Amino acid sequence: MSGFLGYLLQRLIGVMVTILFVAITIFLMVRILPGDPARVIAGVLASDQDVARIRTQLGLDQPLWTQAGIFLNDLAHGDLGTSARTSDPVTQEILARLPYTALLAVVSLAVAIAVGLPLGALAAARAGSLADLAVSALVLFGISMPVYWLGLMLIILFSIQLRWLPAAGASGPLSIILPAVTLAAFSVAFIARITRSSMLEVLRQDYVRTARAKGTPARGVLWRHALRNALPPIVTIIGLQFGELLGGAILTETVFGWPGMGRLLVDSIFSRDYPMVQGLVIVFALMFALVNLAVDLLYERIDPRVRYG
Amino acid sequence: MRRRSLTAFVAVVFVLFAGTALAQQTFRIAIGVDPDSLDPAQGTTTTVDNVLDYMVQPLVTIDGTGKLVPDLATSWSTSADGKTLTFDLRQGVTFQDGTAFDASAVKWNLERLLDPKVRVPRRGQLTVIDSIDVVDANTVRLNLKQPSPALVGALSQTTVGMLSPASVDKDGNSYENIVHPVGTGPYTYTSRQKGTNVVVSRNDAYWGDKPYYDKVVFQVVPEATTRESLLLAGQVDLIILPPTSDLPALQNNPRVKVLFGPSDRTIFIAINTSKKVLDNKLVREALNYAVDKQAIIKGVLFGAAEPMDAPMAPSLFGYKKIGAYPYDPEKAKQLLKQAGVDPSQITLHMISPTGRYVQDFPAAQAIANYIRDIGFKVDVRTMDWPTYVGTITKPQAENTTELHLLGWAPSFMDASQQMQQFDCGQSPPNGLATSFYCNQDVQKLLDQASSEVDVQKREQLYQQASQIIWNDAPWIFLWVQSFPMAYQANLTGISGLPNEKFYALYAHPAN
Repeated sequence: MSGFLGYLLQRLIGVMVTILFVAITIFLMVRILPGDPARVIAGVLASDQDVARIRTQLGLDQPLWTQAGIFLNDLAHGDLGTSARTSDPVTQEILARLPYTALLAVVSLAVAIAVGLPLGALAAARAGSLADLAVSALVLFGISMPVYWLGLMLIILFSIQLRWLPAAGASGPLSIILPAVTLAAFSVAFIARITRSSMLEVLRQDYVRTARAKGTPARGVLWRHALRNALPPIVTIIGLQFGELLGGAILTETVFGWPGMGRLLVDSIFSRDYPMVQGLVIVFALMFALVNLAVDLLYERIDPRVRYG
Repeated sequence: MRRRSLTAFVAVVFVLFAGTALAQQTFRIAIGVDPDSLDPAQGTTTTVDNVLDYMVQPLVTIDGTGKLVPDLATSWSTSADGKTLTFDLRQGVTFQDGTAFDASAVKWNLERLLDPKVRVPRRGQLTVIDSIDVVDANTVRLNLKQPSPALVGALSQTTVGMLSPASVDKDGNSYENIVHPVGTGPYTYTSRQKGTNVVVSRNDAYWGDKPYYDKVVFQVVPEATTRESLLLAGQVDLIILPPTSDLPALQNNPRVKVLFGPSDRTIFIAINTSKKVLDNKLVREALNYAVDKQAIIKGVLFGAAEPMDAPMAPSLFGYKKIGAYPYDPEKAKQLLKQAGVDPSQITLHMISPTGRYVQDFPAAQAIANYIRDIGFKVDVRTMDWPTYVGTITKPQAENTTELHLLGWAPSFMDASQQMQQFDCGQSPPNGLATSFYCNQDVQKLLDQASSEVDVQKREQLYQQASQIIWNDAPWIFLWVQSFPMAYQANLTGISGLPNEKFYALYAHPAN
């Protein structure tokens, strides 16, 4: 077990190094972007003195190295600074939005797994059948459909025509259905495709033939023997899909007026709110790194051949 | 069995009616931006001002035509030398926290706006105030550094919305940052969920006419198509800026009404008059004749604009109709010949923002085509707003743009801010007069107007300047955009103010 703890520690240090790298990169990237944050905040009608005063208030008149020093020092103390746009602490702003993005990503992922996994398994079990073809068509549809378009189509159908679901906002549990389904579409397709190919691989193995030969019912072979062994690549993909979902959330949140981090990031980039963009990118990176760490640790559970430490 | 189904039916009907009754008391407005701040002093965005107008009020305001009218001040007067401005305040007004609105509250608010510790992007127009005297409880006097005839207009902005001095350290507020505004308005701040909504409730102690709705919810919906969907699904009552291309369809939909709200925003192609060829007035005139403004308004803006007929919008003080550059490509070519310019040898670089103004980039592409028709080569590019502002405000020597699309909307209904665009001292990097236009005759008129106390004389000065500017053509004069909104057809009492605001305070069902 101490071996495992050592491994965990090693991985967590890795996560921290990654985050430091991300932090420095995003710090430089926002400053390479053209455009003056003070002018954007002040508006085109503001006088030059007012713009200059705002620049000083934001600390942007300091040399780059001083700004970087302040940023990294604050970061080490868990302080992401103050939003240039709203004058509120970045941490507070992000914490207000984080639950929405996390909820949306988790619900979407759950939908994607609940739909994608059985579809892929079904397609593999009946490879070459009409059902397989139907799943393949669905996969193609899901992967190639723009999130934006799908979202609007769902709004037209379920909000305008049927009037069953809210078109936008985050009031009540019904609000999450449309954004979650929209966001899940791509992942459903991707998970179904990976499940299908991974299952096909496994179904060709000797032990499956053995299981069949000894008279295990087809359903038992599929779910107990094949799926379990097909799982490792699928879990990897699901972990990576979580990253896709965080990225996809940016568009989905905009279409559905969902108050998550993705929308905040868009608003912040367009207003050149350096501290907010930095904070959001760091938190996104941290979420992604931790989920992938969790996936790696999960490996041990699903694949007994993998042992850490 | 029958009995049970009857009970269920009654229950359902009851719930439905209860639902309708509740829904009737709340008015829902879908807006496009999440407020940066609910501190009136920190405002830069008209829509955010529009939300704050429900809660806070300035001393003076504008009516539907843009004229200054009393709000928290009942009357005002300027001294003969133009250096003091005296306001008589409305009596018996209280802030929403029960404290009295009086001259000392006004003094406190104005001093806060002038205090460098507070971030006030629109402070520029107020810095002419030297000191504020409380004459008596209902009279306040502003002493000015120099005569400033535009100041009363500047005091009509939401920035100057009066806050209760007693509220400044309560409910999360601080002197530098107000998050829970307490004003004198018809609605009080109730709650805010960032990125989602702002909710206000009717102030039953309000000094003026009481609104119909108990509650108003401003829902933040950045995507125009989604705002439209919310309206069509009956989930909101009023939306601002539906997708422009859907305006004809909405106009044909009997369940909703479309309102082309007036605006003071002029949209134009700023011509970089410091560049060779474009420094020639004949060439700039040719560009004006080359573009069919009417056709673009009809085909690209779906009617959401009126052609410009002066270098400012008609709702501004100082406006006078000057003329038109009708679409005449032959005349344009002839003017180029007269100027000795062979357009086929010249590539004009044009840039436009995307999504900043109604159909901005599509319009820019159409304009480029018209300019190609008279022989120039034109390349058109777009970029995001901060980059765009950075590009067009580069100093003359580094400035590479020759033509760029821009919108300009004074924050109060006076020619002074519009004329910054033609002020020699406002050329980049000092300001945003991005056509680098400088005409000493115009400059003299503008300088005179900025301190002329006589209202009529001042108006004439701006009109004279307008005439010269129009003839010099530093812009391709395009149009005054309108501010489209749409609302449920069963509602009435909704209109627009000339500064891109909706006026729905007294909205109510038509029957």
